[in-house]
Order: sequence, then C-alpha cells, then structure tokens
Amino acid sequence: MIWVSWRQHRSQAIACLGLLAALTVYAIVVSTSMRTAFSHDGLAACLTRSQAGSCQAAISSFMSKFSSMVNIAFWAVLLIAPGLLGVLVGAPLIARELEYGTWRLAWSQTVPRTRWLATKLALVTGGLVVAGAAMTAVITWYREPMDRLTGHFFNNIYDFEGPVLTAYILCAFGFAVLAGLLLRRSIPAMVAAFIPWLAIRLAVEFLLRPRFQAPLTFRQNCAHGCSINTGVGAVPPETGHIGDWVLSITNSGSQTVTTYQPADRFWHFQFIEAGLFVVLTAAALGATIWLLHRRPA
Amino acid sequence: MAHDDAGGSAPALRADRLGRRYGQVWGLRDCTLEVPAGAIVGLVGPNGAGKTTLLEMIIGLLEPTEGQVSVFGAAAHAHMAARLARVSYVAQDHPLYRDFSVADMFRLGRAMNPSWDHGMAQARMDTLGIPPKRKVKTLSGGQQAQVSLTMALAKRTPLLVLDEPVSSLDPVARLEFMRDVMASAVGTGLTVIIASHVVSELERLCDWLIVLTGGHVRLAGPVDDLLAAHRLLTVPRPTSDAELPGLTIHRTDSDRHSTVLVRADAARLQALGRPGWQADPVGFEQLVMAYLQRSPQTAAADDTAAAAAQPRPLAKEVTR
Repeated sequence: MIWVSWRQHRSQAIACLGLLAALTVYAIVVSTSMRTAFSHDGLAACLTRSQAGSCQAAISSFMSKFSSMVNIAFWAVLLIAPGLLGVLVGAPLIARELEYGTWRLAWSQTVPRTRWLATKLALVTGGLVVAGAAMTAVITWYREPMDRLTGHFFNNIYDFEGPVLTAYILCAFGFAVLAGLLLRRSIPAMVAAFIPWLAIRLAVEFLLRPRFQAPLTFRQNCAHGCSINTGVGAVPPETGHIGDWVLSITNSGSQTVTTYQPADRFWHFQFIEAGLFVVLTAAALGATIWLLHRRPA
Repeated sequence: MAHDDAGGSAPALRADRLGRRYGQVWGLRDCTLEVPAGAIVGLVGPNGAGKTTLLEMIIGLLEPTEGQVSVFGAAAHAHMAARLARVSYVAQDHPLYRDFSVADMFRLGRAMNPSWDHGMAQARMDTLGIPPKRKVKTLSGGQQAQVSLTMALAKRTPLLVLDEPVSSLDPVARLEFMRDVMASAVGTGLTVIIASHVVSELERLCDWLIVLTGGHVRLAGPVDDLLAAHRLLTVPRPTSDAELPGLTIHRTDSDRHSTVLVRADAARLQALGRPGWQADPVGFEQLVMAYLQRSPQTAAADDTAAAAAQPRPLAKEVTR
C-alpha cells in the first residue's frame, strides 16, 4: 500500500519539491543581499546599542529597500499558496478515482477501502507536513535580518514562521479530500474546499488572532512630543520593544494609548492557531473516512 | 448460516431478498438467488435493469438497502475483508490507472492482494504479447481488457465477476477475451458471473442464467433446467392464455396460429396433447429474448401470482 500511495502521488511530490527548490533559490538570492546590506549598514550594532531609534536613517533606508520585496510582493501569493497547495493535493485524492471509474478497481482489491484511504491519508499528510516544515524553515531563514528589525508577530509574517503554515496546508488538504468524496469531481472540489478555507483563514487572522489573549496597553505621555515613530508598522514599534504586535494607537489628549500583543506570546499564539486548524483538518478527514466506510452513495 | 471460512460447502453466491434503492427508485428489489460453486453464470437484462447494482452489492462496493448477500458464506459488512478476498471484479470499461505501466498495475495488485499470483500475471502478458513496460494508456481497448482480466485472475479468488467485459471490444478481441475467461475457469472450479448483452456469447459459455428486468429477477437457474421447463407452443387461433398449460411468457399471433412460449413443470408439459397443437423445445436465445420482451408490469403481476400460489420464491423453485 505504501508503494501504491507513493506511485499515485509521485508527480505531486516531485512538483512540490520543484516549488520548494524555486522558493529556496529565490530566498537565497534575496536574503544574501539583505544580509549584506544589514551588516554593511551596521544595523546589528544599532540594535544592540539602543532599542529606541538611534539609527533611524539607516533603518528607514534598509526598510525602504527591502520591506516592499519582503512584505508586500509576497503577501498576496503567500496568503493563498498554502491553500492552493492543500487543495491541489487533496481534491484529486478520492475525486480522481470517482471521475475515472478506478474506484471500482481500487476498492475491489483485498485491502478494504477504509484501509486504502487511511494509508494514503497518512502518507500524503506526512508529505505535506515535511513540505510545510521545509517552507517554514526556508522563509524563516530568509527573513531573519528583517525579523531582527520588525519581529515576526505581524500579519503575514506570523503566517509563515511557525507551525501555522503547515496547519493551513493540512486544513485545505482535509477540506479538499472531503469535498472530493462529496462532489466526485476534482476541480469543483478544489473550489469548494478553497473558499471556506480562505474564509476561515481570514476570519481567524483578523477576528480571532488579536483576541487569543487579552491585549496589553501601553500609555505614553506626549506633552513634549512623542517618538517620531507613530503608526502600526513603525520600527521599533510604539511600545519600544522589537517584536511587539501593535494592534492600535489612539490619541487621547496628551496621551497616546497603544494596544499590543507582546512579542513573547508569539509561540503561544502559533500553537493556539495551529491547533485550531489541525482540529479542523482532523474533523474533515475523520468525516471522509467515516463516509467512505458507510458509503451510501 | 454460519460463516464458513473454507467456503467449501457454502454456495458461491447467496442473495436473500436483496434490494437497493436510489432515492425513491428501486434499482433492484427482492433478489433471492443461490448460485452453486463452479457455475458459469450469464446475467442478462436491458440497460438500467439493475445488473451493475447487483454485481456491486456482490463485490461489496455498494451497500444493500435491504436483504443480505454473501459470497462463499462471507456476508456483507461484517466480513468485508473476507468477502474481498473471495471475489475479483472486472468492472465495466475495465478501469485502470492510465499513467501506470502494466508492471506498475501488477505491482499494485501484488501490494493490495495477499494471494496475488505474480508469475501467472506475467506469463499471461508474455502469451498475449503485451510488454510490461508499456503505459496503460498506450494499450488498445482489447489489451486493457486483458490487463484487467489478468489482474482479476491473479487475485486467485474462487469467484470472478465480469460486468460487460466485452462491450467495448471488437469481435476478434471479444472472442479471445471470452475464450481466455473460459480457459481460466475450466478445471479450476472457478465460479464466474458475466453480465453481458451479447446473448449468443453467453449461450456458448454459461451453464447458469439470470434474467433481470425492471430491478427484479425474472428467471434464474441452471440453463438445462430452464430450457426443460419451457416450451414453444404453436396453437391454432383463437386460443386464450387460460387454455395453455402454464404461464405465458411471450406470445406472437399470426393469421391462423399463435406461437407461445410457456413455462410449466414437466408433468403439465407431458399432459399436453391436444390435436393441432405442437410443442417444440426452446433455444437459449429464444428463452432469453422472451423474458426480455415481457413488459415489467406483466412480469411483476405474474411473479406476484406465482409467489402467492407458492410460498417459495420463483427463482429458488426453478433452481431445484
């Protein structure tokens, strides 16, 4: 059965490796120039000397050079990439058998169809976990100089530097496998799985994630003028501590009130969110196995 | 009955009031059958009669809505693994993985079947001249059918089920395919169920017949018994059905005579001797066609009447 699963998903695995290789090459090229600039501008020294804006010129020149490349160009692609990867692998897993009639072949062998499915799911899930972990590692390494300035708690950076990335992929995969069994067609199953995945993904990011734990508040008296860094994405952030995730800044009289999630909650948040998506994945895959076992269709 | 692991004494196939509903429509209903081991069974019926439904419930690909089906004593879900180990299946259009090579398909067969006979599979490909390195999608329809058949045979099960195995093949490929099926069955005690529209093929191969129309079994039993239980009568017009000895299956009226295919037990057929009446034995194809042409409504009414007259279902009665 292991060989059968491998043979059927071989081309997907190779395509995945190809994508990963392309990503790695891109990461090496960009990251090398970023690392060169980082040390050339002496930013490391600035950071050690003081947390609060003594190297503003150097930082803003570095940021203007790389932030658009690192933060924006990638964002749209990377937002949907884990979902695309998941549904592309997941949707055909059962739907293709139903589309081409090969389910009659596959499920009339001596291995019962539930074991056939369980083996395939275990192996493909394993493959996706490895791919997700590799992507996470490459992106984390690639962004490392930038992370030293901005931290990795922001939206769309957070999404790629921890277990959540793998969890997103698995969730899209699970939805797509289930949709494939229900809709019996690969392409409609991809669409039907991707849309709820994206909806949940965005809802979690913008509605739930800021509230995983109650945010902290930082008050600053600006009677004599505040630091020049105002705004949610400032470096260093309003709270003065790199890595804090600033949610909002409001001015009340002479005070600015900053609500934020402190940097040390990063891993806690990662595991909460990854757990949420893993639970969704398990529910979808569990439902698939149960439905196939009963198979009233 | 008890679950018989050896499968020695159990019938190859036993169905008991088996039924399957699709939404509001019954695809198959009240199917009661007992096929002995070693039979070569022809399953005939128009499209949509429930042939594939019956076959898929035999394999375990489809769950019955009601009733039971067992293969060599291995019943439904409780013995799913045992059932799968006893039956191999060549589905309609012989599905294979198109981007696999023949050798890959066989490796899949070996991986998924403990009883797989790899030597036999390879030897058959050699005999047929199909190179194992060839991709499935580059093979002709006849070759693909042969690869499917080989996979089913190499599974080494006591029951082989074929669903329209030759419908997409040219006449020569048909002939070769059926010849190979028979060659595998002869002397091995293999039980074979073949669903097919090609009645003439079945006549040559089968010693058992099941006719299915409108989701019901209309006729089932050993071919010899069925032929013996039917006569083609030529009677002067007008002769009403009520005067005939037995049940009218099919009737053709010409100017002066009526030709009627009737079913009756031997004693009543013996007693038949009215002047001007002629009774001829029935051919296989004639018999099948008569049952296929009977409207499902008439057939249902007759079967209900027969069931009311006798407590045993018709199919079982003919079997014995």
